Amino acid sequence: MIQISDLTKKLGSFCLEEINLSIEKNEYFVVLGPTGTGKTVLLETLAGMYRPDKGHIHIGDRDVTFAPPEDRRMGFVYQDYMLFPHLSVRGNILFGVDHRKVPKARREKKLTEMATLLRLDELLDSYPQTLSGGEQQRVALARALITDPEVLLLDEPLSALDPASKEVFQGELQRIHKETSTTMIHITHDFNEGMLLADRMAVMMDGKILETGKPAEIFQRPKTEAVAAFVGMQNIYCGEVVTRGEGQYFCSGALSLRVATEFSGPAKAAIRPEDIIFAKHKIESSAQNILRGEIREIIHGGTFAKVILDVGETLTILITKQALEDMELEKGKEGWAVFKTAAVHVFK
Amino acid sequence: MKKKFHKLGNKAFQSLILLSAIVLSLFFLIALGNVVWRGLETFPDLLMNPEIGFAVRLSLFTSITATLICVLFALPAAYGLERFRIPFRRFLTVVLNIPLSLPPLVSGVALLLLLGNTGFGEQLSRIGLQFVFSVKGIVLAQFFIITPYMIKVLRSAIAEIDPKLEFVARTLGCSQRQAFFRVTLPLCRNGLFAGIIISWSRAIGEFGCSLMIAGATRMHTETLPVALYLNMSVGNLSTAMGAAVCLILISVVSMLIFETSSSFRKKQGRLE
Repeated sequence: MIQISDLTKKLGSFCLEEINLSIEKNEYFVVLGPTGTGKTVLLETLAGMYRPDKGHIHIGDRDVTFAPPEDRRMGFVYQDYMLFPHLSVRGNILFGVDHRKVPKARREKKLTEMATLLRLDELLDSYPQTLSGGEQQRVALARALITDPEVLLLDEPLSALDPASKEVFQGELQRIHKETSTTMIHITHDFNEGMLLADRMAVMMDGKILETGKPAEIFQRPKTEAVAAFVGMQNIYCGEVVTRGEGQYFCSGALSLRVATEFSGPAKAAIRPEDIIFAKHKIESSAQNILRGEIREIIHGGTFAKVILDVGETLTILITKQALEDMELEKGKEGWAVFKTAAVHVFK
Repeated sequence: MKKKFHKLGNKAFQSLILLSAIVLSLFFLIALGNVVWRGLETFPDLLMNPEIGFAVRLSLFTSITATLICVLFALPAAYGLERFRIPFRRFLTVVLNIPLSLPPLVSGVALLLLLGNTGFGEQLSRIGLQFVFSVKGIVLAQFFIITPYMIKVLRSAIAEIDPKLEFVARTLGCSQRQAFFRVTLPLCRNGLFAGIIISWSRAIGEFGCSLMIAGATRMHTETLPVALYLNMSVGNLSTAMGAAVCLILISVVSMLIFETSSSFRKKQGRLE
C-alpha cells in the first residue's frame, strides 16, 4: 500500500498542497485533473525527483520520503517516453537489469518475457527514433516493468497517441495491469480514460486533491462545483432546497426543479446535458421535471449538437445531429426539457 | 511599380549579403594562401629541419597533454554547472569564462606571478612541478587558455540532453554516477568530440600565455608558434613560413573535422 500524507512541495510559482492519498496494493489508481495542475510534479515527487517540503511517502512500511529515486522501486513512464536514444530497444529494456549482477540466462528470460508481454519481439534491434509513438510507449513500459517495480507511475501515457492507438493502448494497459499485478498510478486530463481504467481515482486541481473515489461515484455524484464542471456537468446552479408538500424542490431564481436529496437549505444542483431529453412539444412522461423554454442558441458539433434553452436559467441539452435536423430546430423557437429527479445531482 | 521596387530592393539586399561573405572569404584565403604558397616552396626541406621537427613534436605533445587534462577538469565542471544547484553558479560561470576574454599575455603574467619565485611555486617545484621556463609551463598555459572553451562547448552539449533521461535512469536503479556514465556521457559524446577538437586546435596555436611562463628558448620550449616568432625575429623567413604552414594545415584539418562532426550532429538532431 502507498500512503501519501500531507505531501507539500513548492516549486517556483507552483505548489503541491498537503496531498493525502492512500493507494491499495495492485490497485489501478488514476489522478485526474486539467493540464497544469501539478499532476506531473506529484508523480515526480513520488519518484524522488524533488524533495518534499513537508509530508511523508510510505510504500508498505518503508518510508521513502527522502530516499533517492534508485531506492524507491517506482517505475516511471513519461508522456514523451524518454527512451534512451543511444540504445536499441533491447538496450533500453535491459537498462534497469544491466547494472545489477543478473545472470545472463535470467536476463535473457526476462527480456523475452517483457518482449512477449508488450509485443516487442520484432523490434528489439530497432532504435527509438524509428518507432511509432505507440511502439515507443510499449518500450518505455517494458523498460520500467522489467525491474519489477512495486509501483508504476504513468505520466499521461496516452495523450501523445492518435485516437486509434490510444484505444488499443488502453486495452494493453488493462491487460498489463492484470498480468503483472503491479500497483499503477496513472495521471491524465482525460476523464474517459480515467473512467475506463481506474479502480479508484482522485481529482486534482491547483495542486490540491479535491475528491477521491470510484470513477462512477465521481462521475455521477461529484462533491464540488469544480469537479462537477470538470466531469462534464454543464448545468450547475446555486440555489436552495425547499420542501413543499411531499416533494423536495431545488429553487434557483425562476428555476424550480423536483429533486431527491438528503440536503436542505442552500445548495448547488448539477445536471448532465446528456441526461436531458429535448422535445419540440410537451410530452407525457414519468419524468418529474418538464420545463418549457425558448431556444437561445444551437452549437453544432461533430455527431452531437448542444441546444441552449432558456427556462428562466439557461439549460444546455445534448441532442444528436439527426434529431436536430428531424425537429428542424431554430433559434427563438419553443422547446421542452424533460429529465428525471435522479438526473439532478444536489450537493453543498 | 511599388512591388517591382520591392523586388529590386530584395535582390540588392541579397547581393550585399552574398558579396560580404565572398569578400571576407577571399581576404582570408588570399592572406593564408600566400603564406602556404611561400612556405610550400621550401616545405620538403623543412621536414628535414631539426628545429621544425622539434617544434612539431613539442606542439603535439603539449597540446594533446593539455587537452586530456582539460577534459578531466572541464567535464565534471560543465556537468556540475549545468545540472546541480551549485551556490554562486553565475559567479563561477563568470570566473571560468575570464580567460576567454583576457589577453593571453595577461593570463601568462598571472601564472608567472603565481608560480614564479613564490612560496607556492617553490612548493610545487619541490614535488617535481616546475612550471617556469619548462615544457610543463607550456602545458599549464595551454590548459589555462583552452579550459573555458571546453567548458562552454560541453555545457551546451549537456544542456541539450533532457535531465528527465537521467531521472528515468535513476528510477531504473542507477546511482547518480551510473546515470551520468550510462546516459549523459554517451549522449554528449559528439559535444565532447567537438570540444576536444576545438580546444586542441587552440592549444596548438597558443603563444602569448606560454611565452610568459615558459619563455621562448630554441629547442627547449619551442612550440610551432614560438618557432615562427623566433625565426621571424631573426629574419629566417623560410623556417618561419614552414612553422606557419604547419599551423595553418593543423587548423584547417581540425576545422574540417569539427564542421563534419557538427553537421552530422545537426542531421541527427533533425532525425529525432
